[in-house]
Amino acid sequence: MFEKMQQAFWRALTPDLVVDEPKVVAQPVAGLAANVVAALGGVDNLKSHKAVALTRVRVELRDVERLDRQALTAAGVPGVMMLEGGVVHLITGLTP
Amino acid sequence: MATPQQLQLYAPLSGVLMPMDLVPDPVFSSRVIGDGLCIDPTSTTLCAPLAGIVSNVQASGHAISITNENGVQVLMHIGLDTVNLAGKGFTRLVEEGEQVDIGQSLIEFDADFVAMNARSLLTLMLVVSGEPFTWLAPQTGGVDSGQPLLQLDLAGKASSEPVTEEGDALFSRPVTLANPNGLHARPAAVFAQAAKGFSASVFLHKRQQSVNAKSLVAIMTLQTAKGDVVQVSASGPDAEAAINTLTELLATGCGEGVAEPAAQVEAKAPEVSSPTVLRGVCASAGSAFGQVVQIAERDLEVNEPGTTPPAEREQLSCGLAEARLALQQLRDNATGSAQADIFKAHQELLEDPVLLGGAEALISEGKSAGFAWRATIESTAHLFKSLDNALLAERAADLVDVGQRVLKLILGVQDQAIELPEGAILIADQLTPSQTAGLDTRKVLGFATVGGGATSHVAILARAAGLPAICGLPAQVLSLRNGSLVLLDADKGELHLDPELAAIEQLRVDRQRQEQRHQHVLAHATLAACTRDGHHVEVTANVASLSETEQAMTLGGEGVGLLRSEFLYLDRNHAPSHEEQASTYSAIARVLGPSRSLVVRTLDVGGDKPLAYVPMDSETNPFLGMRGIRLCLERPQLLRDQFKAILACAGLAQLHIMLPMVTQLSELRLARQLLEEEALAAGHAELPKLGIMIEVPAAALMADLFAPEVDFFSIGTNDLTQYTLAMDRDHPRLAAQADSFHPSVLRLIASTVQAAHAHGKWVGVCGAMASETLAVPLLLGLGVDELSVSVPLIPAIKAAVREVDLVDCQAIARQVLGLDSAEQVREALRQYHEATVDTSRVLENGHV
Repeated sequence: MFEKMQQAFWRALTPDLVVDEPKVVAQPVAGLAANVVAALGGVDNLKSHKAVALTRVRVELRDVERLDRQALTAAGVPGVMMLEGGVVHLITGLTP
Repeated sequence: MATPQQLQLYAPLSGVLMPMDLVPDPVFSSRVIGDGLCIDPTSTTLCAPLAGIVSNVQASGHAISITNENGVQVLMHIGLDTVNLAGKGFTRLVEEGEQVDIGQSLIEFDADFVAMNARSLLTLMLVVSGEPFTWLAPQTGGVDSGQPLLQLDLAGKASSEPVTEEGDALFSRPVTLANPNGLHARPAAVFAQAAKGFSASVFLHKRQQSVNAKSLVAIMTLQTAKGDVVQVSASGPDAEAAINTLTELLATGCGEGVAEPAAQVEAKAPEVSSPTVLRGVCASAGSAFGQVVQIAERDLEVNEPGTTPPAEREQLSCGLAEARLALQQLRDNATGSAQADIFKAHQELLEDPVLLGGAEALISEGKSAGFAWRATIESTAHLFKSLDNALLAERAADLVDVGQRVLKLILGVQDQAIELPEGAILIADQLTPSQTAGLDTRKVLGFATVGGGATSHVAILARAAGLPAICGLPAQVLSLRNGSLVLLDADKGELHLDPELAAIEQLRVDRQRQEQRHQHVLAHATLAACTRDGHHVEVTANVASLSETEQAMTLGGEGVGLLRSEFLYLDRNHAPSHEEQASTYSAIARVLGPSRSLVVRTLDVGGDKPLAYVPMDSETNPFLGMRGIRLCLERPQLLRDQFKAILACAGLAQLHIMLPMVTQLSELRLARQLLEEEALAAGHAELPKLGIMIEVPAAALMADLFAPEVDFFSIGTNDLTQYTLAMDRDHPRLAAQADSFHPSVLRLIASTVQAAHAHGKWVGVCGAMASETLAVPLLLGLGVDELSVSVPLIPAIKAAVREVDLVDCQAIARQVLGLDSAEQVREALRQYHEATVDTSRVLENGHV
């Protein structure tokens, strides 16, 4: 919460320095392979996504039911952690 | 089931395996702690990989170890750098000492919170007891919680016989841990690994506890925190080497970046002080020659278990009541108000609900009154010290002092009055108010302490008693023999251990001369401060109360150059009312009268001296935070109220309002607007003069832009120096260098004066520099129009002005601006003084 406010504050002060988070509708989704996005239920199902904790991509889904575990494994995501509120951690490993 | 020779470890979590070599934390990837495996979890409950006893679970809940009946010890550490979360996001489901079964839930964690707030969720399972193992599953890919993963070979256990303490153990000096989270897994592992390198048996001690220093888990059971004092002991052939290496390791943070405590740096680097001179910080000016008297506080022994809670409760309340009486007596007999205030504060501590509640809780658990009281005091003092706030850390000394007083009363320990020889120079780690109160100050010539700073009691009391004092001396001062002769030169911050006769003689002569001079300037205090060539300089006073203002007038003050308005705001729970503020300002203005000027500085507080009723976030660096005008503009009502109250005394004196810490022109403009609005609302036709402090280099550098918009400048040399040189003026090792005589500071003063005069505005100096006689010719030469000085020094500064020619001053000022360092500037000024002024002193002495 605080972080968000701070971000907004900084953005207001220095519009050219803080990069806006990519909009959900942006195509293709930065940092996620197309087949991963598809396995997550498509761009429309993606509320947000963010790389966290060195090895993970944290995504927020509108409808968790549309997530396809098999397809994710096939897309090369070795681990999936389902959390509350449509939050899913994709374990993608250390990025080289 | 595994055979007795073999033991299986089960996956504590579901997730994805990561090879140990790739774990992005060298402590784990190097296997210093032990070999094992790493899982990137997809489940949120850590389960027991083997049956055994929970041998350690960190209070912060991010790490746990289990030991089985064969001595196999397995550590699980959830996430990387999760110790920084201080327990947030983790729920412990088991307690230390509890027997757990395979697969039993141990810790639950909020994976999303940890992922968002810590470096990583990568979880380690390590065999810290060192048995070799083979894999029962592929070493990469996914695992399910509870799946068999490793097979341990118990027969192949690395030889690590239980170490026992044998022979006479050597002990290290106490080391204060600087690690922000104490010896948590990473530093503890580094330490244990280093300890294993010695054949001696090594133990780590914290208070009464001692553990095997070669065991990571044992070290972790000490649950150390930042600021804990630990000691290393060792016995065996290489014991001495072990102690040296390990103490050094502890002091430097065991591989973690720590800010080294200054005292230890001093102790490790004796070459900083040559053997005959020890250096510290001047806490109270002056000098003295006398004999060493070491003052040490005895350690008192208490029994932990009590008789019955009601009896112990009774004992505690008796002790508290007696202490209250004794403190009242000390208050009544106190020689000054500073001392009386300290004992009043101590009396208040005796009624503090947190202390009483803490002691009560321990007594209810069956502890003795003495034990309960001491434990409560110690933990609270520790809390104070750990808050990283110099003022609170000083207050920890009060807490310990008052705690000791009550403890002695509970235990019935008689306090022997310290028999002082004549001419004593008291030396202590830290002198407590109780110790100094019982002293016969007629026999004391000075103080020298290891602890303490400019705000410590020693400093306050020494200044009040007019005795010299040095703080921040290296610890070796504590080993000086009682009765040995030392020369305490507080002005230079030096303690000479083997003073030469000539130096002592010189000191005596100087003191006599100082005394004569003091009498002389006092007798002439009311004379105007005019240079020999007829240039008048206003010498005004820095005050913080009505009584100081009155005193300043009797000592020849020509006005008030700095009224520190904070005194109206500090040490209270709510802002002062308008009536209270207005009547205080008016009373001070009346003392001055309509012809003298009164410069009121608006509230100058901040994170370093917070107000109870102005809640502030704690700041990592309050001196660069919301201080002075920054805070006031953030809370404009506070400033409006103050303006309104100050305006109430307009007409009673020549009213000036001064804004502290101004950095931006916008701050000045905004404050002026508020002042104009308040003046208009109160129906004042004429605005009081409005000026700013020049204490931030930014303001000094832009003085030409500020000058047209102000009525005057006043230079706060203390802050200007610390901000210009980037040196804390209370820093034990930098304070001596944080000198306002540095040419960089002088250049800022010179350009500020130039800019002000170009616009017809006057410049004062209200920092400590103005109160130094040595600086007088320099400041006059730079063109300063007003010197606002500490009240007792008004006569001396006025006399110093009368001794010089302005033309000479201008020449010397030009000359020193080009010098290299503060020392060179001081030396040049001393030479100038000797060449021009000393001749007049002979004449003066003739008058006395």
